[in-house]
Amino acid sequence: MREEPFSRKIYRWLLKLYPAGFRETYAGPMEQEFREELAESTTAWALAVLWIRLLTDLAVTIPAQVAREFAQDARHTFHLWAVRPWQTACTIVALAIGIGANMGVFSVVNALLLSSLPFREAESLASFQLFFPPHDSPKRFHDWRTQTAFLDDAALWETGDANLGGAGEWRRARVAQTSWNFFALLGVRPVLGRTFAPGEDVEGNGWGPTGPNAVAVISYGLWQSLFGGEREVLGATIRIDGNPLTVIGVAPPGFDYPQRASLWKPAAYSEGNYGFTTIGRLKAGISWERARTLALAEAGRFAPGRETFANLNPPVVTPLRDELAGPTKTASLVLMGGAVLILLVACLNVANLLTARTADRQVELSIRSALGASRARLVQQQLSECLLLALAGGTAGTLVAYVVTSVAAQLQPAALAMQTYSMLNVHVIGVTIATMLLVGFLFGILPALHASRIHGFGTRSSSDNRGLRRLRETLVTAQVMLTIVLVSASISLGRAFLDLMQADRGFDRNGVVTAMVSLEGTTHDTAAKRLGYFQEVLDRLSRLPPVQAASTTQFLPLDAKGFVGARFKLDGRQASMNSMFVPVMQDYFRVMGNQLLAGREFTRADIVGNARLAIVNEAFAREFGQPADLIGRELSAGKSSWRIIGVVRAMDYMAADAQGSQIFHPSRSPGWPRTAVVVRVAGAPENRLAMVRDTIRSVDPQVPLFDVKTLEQRMADQFARPQFYKTAVMCFAAFAFLLAIFGIYSIVSYTVARATRAMGVRMALGAKPAGLRASLLLKGLLPVAEGVIVGVAGALLSGKLLESLVEGAQLVNATACVVEILFVVVVAAAAIWVATRPIARLDVMQLLRTE
Amino acid sequence: MSRITAEELKRLLPLSPTIFHILLSLGAGERHGYAIKREIAARTEGKLKLGPGVLYGSINRMLEWGLIEETDERPDPHLDDERRRYYRITNLGRRAAQAEAARMRELVERAAETFGVRRHA
Repeated sequence: MREEPFSRKIYRWLLKLYPAGFRETYAGPMEQEFREELAESTTAWALAVLWIRLLTDLAVTIPAQVAREFAQDARHTFHLWAVRPWQTACTIVALAIGIGANMGVFSVVNALLLSSLPFREAESLASFQLFFPPHDSPKRFHDWRTQTAFLDDAALWETGDANLGGAGEWRRARVAQTSWNFFALLGVRPVLGRTFAPGEDVEGNGWGPTGPNAVAVISYGLWQSLFGGEREVLGATIRIDGNPLTVIGVAPPGFDYPQRASLWKPAAYSEGNYGFTTIGRLKAGISWERARTLALAEAGRFAPGRETFANLNPPVVTPLRDELAGPTKTASLVLMGGAVLILLVACLNVANLLTARTADRQVELSIRSALGASRARLVQQQLSECLLLALAGGTAGTLVAYVVTSVAAQLQPAALAMQTYSMLNVHVIGVTIATMLLVGFLFGILPALHASRIHGFGTRSSSDNRGLRRLRETLVTAQVMLTIVLVSASISLGRAFLDLMQADRGFDRNGVVTAMVSLEGTTHDTAAKRLGYFQEVLDRLSRLPPVQAASTTQFLPLDAKGFVGARFKLDGRQASMNSMFVPVMQDYFRVMGNQLLAGREFTRADIVGNARLAIVNEAFAREFGQPADLIGRELSAGKSSWRIIGVVRAMDYMAADAQGSQIFHPSRSPGWPRTAVVVRVAGAPENRLAMVRDTIRSVDPQVPLFDVKTLEQRMADQFARPQFYKTAVMCFAAFAFLLAIFGIYSIVSYTVARATRAMGVRMALGAKPAGLRASLLLKGLLPVAEGVIVGVAGALLSGKLLESLVEGAQLVNATACVVEILFVVVVAAAAIWVATRPIARLDVMQLLRTE
Repeated sequence: MSRITAEELKRLLPLSPTIFHILLSLGAGERHGYAIKREIAARTEGKLKLGPGVLYGSINRMLEWGLIEETDERPDPHLDDERRRYYRITNLGRRAAQAEAARMRELVERAAETFGVRRHA
């Protein structure tokens, strides 16, 4: 036989692109025609024309035929859906949640971790911690940044909150002071005016220059809200804590780096200011590894004599994007993992349902096959149905995704306003479509494979049936396994969260109202007037009947943003650890419900007299003896000294640094630039918020008052993120559990329905219904048991992973594990028992008669 | 076969040129696809050369509508490839072709009234 010409092979291959129905009928004659035309085309030109004509023909007709057969399949599918609307709805809902959760979480991951930052060549931007380039004068800093070996450019920034506006109308705003080249480094251009010019950043203390250099770039939002978007904003004066600044430019919409700043001004450099953060752009060709080495070498050079410090606390160089993603990175990845698992569970469930339906439809499929529908056509029909399911699930899933992204945007906002969690993003849409297609094929492939094995004689071999049952049992096993993994993860995250919420933090969070005031730029902004203002506030509050005690402080527990303190000495002996130094007024510990272990707390006289007194906490005291032993001893740091009058229990000031050492001192004006007023009230604190707010405002309505919240609310806000993660994973677990139980129920009830006759015969032969049900129960629990075993192994693995990713997450302990397994098994058993209920109602005589 | 109402027939009109040509070829007798194609090409002096996808796509649709049917009879098994499929026109196909021709004639008459038609262009 002559070998087949190459062009015929190609044409035959191209014909395979037609959908099954068309291909099977017409590929033969088409190929035959091609052979004849090929024989007639003798010249190269004729051959070329033939191919051009054929390719055009294929290009036009293949899509048309695909659409045509898909439309036929779709009609058939909709008919099937209409027959079983509930089952279809369940399937689509399962898929919607699976696909939607993935879409939503992915849009978060995409915004935070995959998309590049909205800055020029953002990939080479680095953020530095524990790295303090020379910053005693602008010249020294700019000399350094232009000469450094590994950076093209670098800038400094520091942020703080300030009162914005003039008297009568104020608002709080996040203000950043930056080196003049800050905007240039990021490649951000103003929409109006200019950014800072060389020489506008100066040497000095405090918050930026005064005089001609007192200029500001304002955010787009501020421009709109304060100046109504008028071009006359340039040259206008804006007041920050009472100091006038001239507006020279407006930042582009959405630009709020760093830390959601809405106003930028040139920096004032001073040697002692370690509040600056450095950002820089790596020189081309410098790897992150190399940058870290070079940064360490430079850090040692900046401060001779501090090389040891630099070595012990090496500078941290991170890509700016990772730095901004920060703690949300891990959490997003954990959620992504959960979302993928939930999608898998949904797919398994749908595969299970479809396999069951294939089994139901065996007769129909056999008939269709006998009528000439080929296996390929049947498989195509099944895959079309799966694609339609995935499409419907995906469409409904966008709703779920929308909810997920809006919840995430609220609880886990991105570091930059420009990093929105958008679903209308090429990556997100691409991944979603890919997921939908993949999912469609993933759960479609099993039933489709099964459909292709159906014989054309309307008979089912028992081995086929057994294989099908085995397949469905495997699906259930996999579902149970994933459920156990997810439930374990949610237990360990839930416990981590409970630990977080219920930990004894050394204070009583109940019954406390807190409020923030800021005296910067007000008429009380002098040392003498501050005391008067605060004492008036405390007096008025104390006179209210529900108020039990009131005080003020600089830091609220768990709210300290940075560390302010020193290494103290007791009677000349240095303590081994640093202590936080917290200024407070009278009655602070009474308000906080903190326990005095020895001595007394500050009185009004101590505050007014500016007494050199201190109260230490037990963490500090432990090093030097019993609490009572410390009373009256001298505490010192540098040239200052204080007399200890009390010892209190330790409070958690920073979530990460629990139960550290704290030293409290009386202050006539605790807190700069803001002060926290704390009030212990009788009754529900939520109902006292307005009372506290109005009372403070009554002292001077011009003083900015903000963040009036109960202490409990403040802690809930603090822990909103872990709460969100815990809730999300718990929802995932609950959903997986429901689907698994649904799967188990459907497989057993299917078995029962199929085996009615056999059951009837066995009952006629004397078997008791209860016995039959028990045997089915055991059989049904077998795949569950397999799933539990594999699931526990999986839970151990994923638990280890969680432990390393999430702070406080612990491996599920044996008790929790046993309870969880028992729960799953008992519910599964209940589902099976319910599914076997028809057996108890079986009328044997009736059954045998119909047979 | 159930009788086709005039209403149903009307819904098929106007027939696409391809379908009309195919009906025209089959009106003369049974043909396989390739023969239909060559005949159409000859009839239109090479102006209408159907690609295989278009030809069989149309045939597929015509089978569905019942304008044509497949036949099992082969003229001479020795002469022919068994992969070929033969088609013949149905009664409905005939009536559809007639209706289409009548429609076209009406159109031609209208054009003649409007423009005047020469006997041989």
